[in-house]
Amino acid sequence: MAEITLYHWEPNANSGKPMLALAEKGVAFESRYIDMLEFDQHKPEYLAINPQGTIPAMTHGDLVLTESTAIMEYVDDAFEGPALMPPDAQDRWRIRWWMKFMDQWLGPSFSMLGWSSFVGPMVADRPKEELEALIERIPLPERRRAWRKAMFGQFSGEELAESRRRVAQGIALIDAELGKREYVGSNSYSLADINIFNSTYGLPMSNPDLAGPDRTPNIWRWLKTVYRRPAVQQTWALGRGRLAERFKQIMGEL
Amino acid sequence: MILYHGQPNGPSFAVLAALEECGLDIECRPIDLLAGERHAIPGIRERVALDMAVEGEGPVLVRDGEAMTESVFLAQFFDEEAGGGRLQPKDPYARWQMMMWCRQVTERLAPAVALLGNLAHSRRRLAAMEEQAFAALTAKIASDDLRARWSALRNDEPDEAQVADSEGKIEQFADRIEDQLADGREWLMGSFSIADLETYGWMAPAANLKPAAAQGRPRLTQWLERVSARDGVRAALARASGNRREAFAPGPEINRWG
Repeated sequence: MAEITLYHWEPNANSGKPMLALAEKGVAFESRYIDMLEFDQHKPEYLAINPQGTIPAMTHGDLVLTESTAIMEYVDDAFEGPALMPPDAQDRWRIRWWMKFMDQWLGPSFSMLGWSSFVGPMVADRPKEELEALIERIPLPERRRAWRKAMFGQFSGEELAESRRRVAQGIALIDAELGKREYVGSNSYSLADINIFNSTYGLPMSNPDLAGPDRTPNIWRWLKTVYRRPAVQQTWALGRGRLAERFKQIMGEL
Repeated sequence: MILYHGQPNGPSFAVLAALEECGLDIECRPIDLLAGERHAIPGIRERVALDMAVEGEGPVLVRDGEAMTESVFLAQFFDEEAGGGRLQPKDPYARWQMMMWCRQVTERLAPAVALLGNLAHSRRRLAAMEEQAFAALTAKIASDDLRARWSALRNDEPDEAQVADSEGKIEQFADRIEDQLADGREWLMGSFSIADLETYGWMAPAANLKPAAAQGRPRLTQWLERVSARDGVRAALARASGNRREAFAPGPEINRWG
């Protein structure tokens, strides 16, 4: 077994966080692509690694690590290479605060809207019994509920509207934050940038009404800087699908 | 630096105890969270962390005009300001375990205890307020979803499914603690850490709300006693005025998606 193995889907949202953190540190890893669209994350081979059936997961020797933000913090703590957390305690606090804001407040709204427009249509031509069988093998009850909602399009208008409200407000707050400091939460590139970039790199294309050079000039300036980092380009080159295409398209426009 | 805090319960407990454990000299000012006083703290230039805290009505540290929130991260801040190593393990994997544990507390246990605690102890006080006074209080709250939690607590019938789910989550977490202590360890992560403070902050009132949570779990009961016996924890608990275990204000929301 390789010293470090990362089980991940596309460089996007959660999977992209440890991919990019490892690339920034210059840590070599074996990549195992888990195809979320084929529900690889709920198959027995993967559940043997992470019984929760969530991606990403990372093994380091005998250790198994899960939860993307926590994996990134481990990667920064455990390996040599450029520091991805600044030394000042208040900066470190601020970076953690923004990562929680993304992981627990803004991210779930991005995810709900993404899933409602993406997962339902993706499985639309599969028979209902097959979908029920796929849901049945998901280990966590809350994830079962989430997939059921997405597959059968059971989102209420009210909850989608609430997610849209949060996305609009969250983007505005990040833009205001980037007006105060060069990077998210501090003046140096950190885990918070990796975290938030993974959920915002496609915004100028997916939400041009909310993000772009005129509407969110600070996000735009920051995106241009982060897109040009060698580790970012190297990581997105590993992507396969339409998300990687979106990256290339925006990269060309910046 | 000034720390504005509620009664030593939930997140205010964890932060006050972390401050005592780290031995930092920071001015502490008690505020009445259920009177909305957190939203009227003076002298704040950067307020996004106060307005948008996922934790809800937790303590606020003000440093150089910046409002700092979220109890786990404030505890880390105190530990790092004090030179590090008092409340966080040095080994990277042990730190990962501690952060994962704290996340389980803040995402699963805290919303459950906050829901039940607010219904049991805070609902009546808000319901007894004049309409106008309540409107004046909530008008100061910047976050739409936090304001909605205040209004729901005062005006809506309790959601039976959420109550049952929260009671189940407390039982599950009590089992998790009992299992974690099964190898005879003194503290949750082996060495004393933020995980003990954050967990105690929610589990102590949970055991008060639902005595069944601690019954038949001797290791959990003894761990609660060990934590309360620490000097830093006693100093934090001594800041209470009134029944601290019944002090609740709208907390983190119940997961709305996956």
